Amino acid sequence: MKFRLDKKDFRSFLQGLIEPYELFAPVRLAEGVSAYQKIDHPEEVDLRQANPQKPAKDLFFPQSEVMFRYEKTGKQTSTIPAEEAKPERVLFGARPCDVEAISIIEKVFAGKENTDVYFLEKRRKTMIIGLGCNHPLSTCFCSSAGGDPFLRAGSDVFFIDLGEAYFVESLTEKGKVFQNNPFLREAGQKDLILVKELEERAFEKVGFSIPIDGIEKRLDLMTESAFWDRVHEPCIGCRICTYLCPTCHCFDIVDEGDSQKGQRVRNWDSCLSPLYSLETSGHNPRPTARERTRQRLMHKFNYYPKTFGQVACVGCGRCILYCPVHFDIRKAILWTSSKRPKVF
Amino acid sequence: MIVKKAYVETTDRMLRTLELGFLNEEEAKNFRFIPGQFCELSVLGKGEAPFGIASSPTENGSLRFTINKAGLVTTALHQIEEGSEIGIRGPLGNGYPIERFWGKNVLVIGGGFAFTTLRSLLVYLLHPENRPKVKGITVIYGARMPGLLLYKEELATWQERSDLNLIVTVDWGDKDWKGKVGLVPNVLEEVAPSSEDAVAVICGPPIMIKFTFPKLMALRFPYERIYTSLERRMKCGIGKCGRCNIGHLYVCKDGPVFNYAELEKLPRDY
Amino acid sequence: MIEQKIRDIAKDLLAKKTVDLVIGFGEGTLPLRVTPRFIRNPEKVDRLVWNSFCENNLATYVHKLNRFKMALVVKGCDARSVTALSLEKRFQPGQIIMIGVPCQRMVDRRKVSRSVTGEILQAREEGDLIQVRGDGFEVSLKREDFLYSSCQACTRRNPTQADVMVGDPVEESPLKEAYHEVKDFEKMSPEERWKFFERETSRCIRCYACREVCPMCYCSECFVDSSNPKWIEKSFSPSDLQFYHIVRAYHQTGRCSGCGACERACPMEIRLGYLTQKLNQEVKDLYNFETGIDAEAPPPLSTFQIDDQQDFIK
Repeated sequence: MKFRLDKKDFRSFLQGLIEPYELFAPVRLAEGVSAYQKIDHPEEVDLRQANPQKPAKDLFFPQSEVMFRYEKTGKQTSTIPAEEAKPERVLFGARPCDVEAISIIEKVFAGKENTDVYFLEKRRKTMIIGLGCNHPLSTCFCSSAGGDPFLRAGSDVFFIDLGEAYFVESLTEKGKVFQNNPFLREAGQKDLILVKELEERAFEKVGFSIPIDGIEKRLDLMTESAFWDRVHEPCIGCRICTYLCPTCHCFDIVDEGDSQKGQRVRNWDSCLSPLYSLETSGHNPRPTARERTRQRLMHKFNYYPKTFGQVACVGCGRCILYCPVHFDIRKAILWTSSKRPKVF
Repeated sequence: MIVKKAYVETTDRMLRTLELGFLNEEEAKNFRFIPGQFCELSVLGKGEAPFGIASSPTENGSLRFTINKAGLVTTALHQIEEGSEIGIRGPLGNGYPIERFWGKNVLVIGGGFAFTTLRSLLVYLLHPENRPKVKGITVIYGARMPGLLLYKEELATWQERSDLNLIVTVDWGDKDWKGKVGLVPNVLEEVAPSSEDAVAVICGPPIMIKFTFPKLMALRFPYERIYTSLERRMKCGIGKCGRCNIGHLYVCKDGPVFNYAELEKLPRDY
Repeated sequence: MIEQKIRDIAKDLLAKKTVDLVIGFGEGTLPLRVTPRFIRNPEKVDRLVWNSFCENNLATYVHKLNRFKMALVVKGCDARSVTALSLEKRFQPGQIIMIGVPCQRMVDRRKVSRSVTGEILQAREEGDLIQVRGDGFEVSLKREDFLYSSCQACTRRNPTQADVMVGDPVEESPLKEAYHEVKDFEKMSPEERWKFFERETSRCIRCYACREVCPMCYCSECFVDSSNPKWIEKSFSPSDLQFYHIVRAYHQTGRCSGCGACERACPMEIRLGYLTQKLNQEVKDLYNFETGIDAEAPPPLSTFQIDDQQDFIK
């Protein structure tokens, strides 16, 4: 079903979501810094930034999450499961790259046995309203990674900014809830033509210049290549790329509290940290940045595809924008191909 | 589970064995495992860590783990008293592919405190139901010093057996030690078991494996018939947290037992 | 031209095998950005560049590479970091050759990006101007309107400790008062100060970029990672975030050169300079010591003399 939402009704529309659901949308934290947060008033929503720093994975796989609590009474210890995500939630304004990334993470966390109930429960209870990208940045390469700026897959409802209004498309069963929404009118012919124009323009801008296609096979031959000796040099081993990456999903599990009372928590972790694979004996199978950078790139472009059939990168470009030493993952990808640049 | 018995195994007091009992009959019945698998033991408030199961599925009623005191969780496990409760998750991992051992000679090489899952394997194979299914069993177990050997009483009873060729060796003997003195790779070269119709299982510190491996090659053991159990820092133990991967395989889920033909195809991340 | 001089010096050092490695800046793939470059081959020195976006402090690489003899391209603040590290014995004497560039003050690339609507696709420095171009716009910006706050107050632009100087020294005429960030902070009441600090650190995502870019943060086990004793938890809690930033600032007392790398690295743009600068100001007032100026003066907080002033012990 295709609708049109006039921008003058946008705030009222959002207000209509705040009551029945927990609404999450991009919120400006400082100039040039935003993240997805729970909002109580429509004015908090800020869509000025192309893509918030903290990706949408935060809603399904929070940076810190209590897995269970425990309490000891006498000799008996009881474990209390963490509270489940209670109300239904709406994630508004997620770009197609972030939405696709959620399904990439889901492939790992789901599975026939040992399903990650924390993630899946949140995923089940969330309606995703995606937002198309009229103006992809020069750092975006979603099309090369198998996506596109207007990819609808994964969203329950899809918004496209037409200027004075939003084009709203209801895509799934969950999305049908807007069928009789008072603020949505049926989309007109002019709206549909404008959508097509915007899609074509954005598509052309992103292009297909990054050779991700076939990278798994190319990397198979490169596990001990001298390439890794050079590519890691500028990396300082912070965690920006991992934490801001919408598909990175490694985590750490720690206990907090004492022997009487406490909780077990999982936190985001990064394979670029030296502590990640450091064994208690002191042996570290990935002792230097060389092995760790290789691990991160190979995981995204070789190991994950071997198991799940697609690369674990959606081309959002956050790692390029925010890396303090300006490591550009596109250069690394180009280097594995025949389009190898002369300078790395 | 409840800690039924806890005792220190080695003279340096760094290795302590815990015998754990199930809290009820039903749990005991439902817990099925094969040698080579591991469990994640929890001390709530300190954390969780993976340990290979040292007891065999043929030993009913309790699970045995040998803990090396190295960090936060293991220190807590060294201090825990008999009668206390500890948490357990398991069995995890793939275990030894025992079906591939039937009808073959089995060579087991162990070093130091990596002998835990090897004990599980051996007790299993030595069980009257299983012993006839394999041909010869040769075991070479080495530790740095006599006091650091695990399961000393059991080793003594095994030396008496005729259906098992057990060679225990130490790097440095002491005045009471009457057994062999020599490094494991050299002892292997000396014993020179035949690789024909045989499988080899090797577990030990990286340095021991590094020097023993060429000797196995010299004895013409093919890669696909040499098995090892890898160790990695683990957290979830079920292939979700991403930590223990080697290439696209996870040591916790697709391992910890691998044969060398598989390892050859993976990046050298271990 | 400074860029060419840097390349010539680098080529000379590598060809004569005076050093194994030259660490400098290379062109980035995005406008307004550079990336650290590691040159080992004298034929490849043309990859080194110099412009107003060379904002990283390359001294942070000293720890990873201290088994090599290396040359570092340093600005005033970076040279001070290297000097401070030599006093902390982080490398052998004579192992590092500093190629000093008198700093023209670095440009705040985020401020430049925000001054235009739309994405900047090309940028070029021309004298005092920065020409930026994007989709449908072309603007000339004045460099001096976009300098980093820390650079504006800098009084140590010349890397006097460098072994080789590239170009003529510049005048140390700060555009803003020294420690002006601290003074602005001090104008606030204690409640306002806490609110400011709380608001800034609430954005922190514990990525530790501030720690990793800092040349002075080189502990093999940082206090945040220690589990025995456990100083702070690893999970996301506001009080732990605040504790991390306060303690990290304290660990920098008398060691921080004010290079601003921490603020520049932070993806959530958290203001950090005022914390370290406040502590540096106190060290200056109490001990008349500024980090990395004197290659012989021991850092006051790492040394002990019997006749140290004790009047603060009540």
